Amino acid sequence: MIDQTVTHEVLAEPNLDWNQLRQAIQAEYQTVAENPNHGFHFHTGRPLTHILGYDETWLEGIPETSIESFAGTGNPFSLGALKPGDRVVDVGSGAGLDSLIAGKMVGPNGRVVGVDMTPAMLSKARRAGQEAGLDNVEFREGFGETLPVLDAWADVVISNGVLNLMPDKAAALADMARVLKPGGRLHIADILVEKPVPDGAKQNIDLWTG
Amino acid sequence: MAGFVNFEITWRADVFSGAPQAGSAANFGTVGINFRARKVENDEEWMAALAAISCEMPVA
Repeated sequence: MIDQTVTHEVLAEPNLDWNQLRQAIQAEYQTVAENPNHGFHFHTGRPLTHILGYDETWLEGIPETSIESFAGTGNPFSLGALKPGDRVVDVGSGAGLDSLIAGKMVGPNGRVVGVDMTPAMLSKARRAGQEAGLDNVEFREGFGETLPVLDAWADVVISNGVLNLMPDKAAALADMARVLKPGGRLHIADILVEKPVPDGAKQNIDLWTG
Repeated sequence: MAGFVNFEITWRADVFSGAPQAGSAANFGTVGINFRARKVENDEEWMAALAAISCEMPVA
């Protein structure tokens, strides 16, 4: 049997002040929402969609205000098709780009719930959804480790560049499993660190956010 | 227990180079990835998945 305690210790950062980390991340992504051309340690906006292989047709009809604050690290739509009628949860939906793309893909009989903890991003995403006329997309405030979504609701969970920002990754993955139907799919874009990270660096909040 | 199977990384690439304030990412060899997995259908599938990854260590 897998030792759950050991697994959890590997995936969580017990010596980190999680509230302080969340506040730092919220501050960083509030800036991405309000001043997307500020210049960050990551690429943003439409140029980033090109780097990550987003199809131009996916962006059609989506407000530029949503696209400009996109800050993903990969392409969850490359991992498998979203089908008409699918229910999708977007964990860490930011300014809403991936949720709105998903909303177009699943169509009027599908549903998308985007979840984010940063109020400035939620406001921007909600406005973009209304402007795009995508009534099947809803944005909810919440944390990735405690998603405001019913058990076994989703066919697919997507996320883009967010799991690495969560201090308790085991809890985040467990909650993604909770909201998925049996056999449901996880389509995640994130980052991989290929060199060992010293313990001191893991507890440096500046390195988590930049 | 998350209960995912068929985990697969399908893509990895340097997505940080050239960013306006690119800094610490390169120091740790940070790359962007896409990965997918599937939630098991039931407990039986999960137990079978656990059994498949367990192994016995020979004692010298």
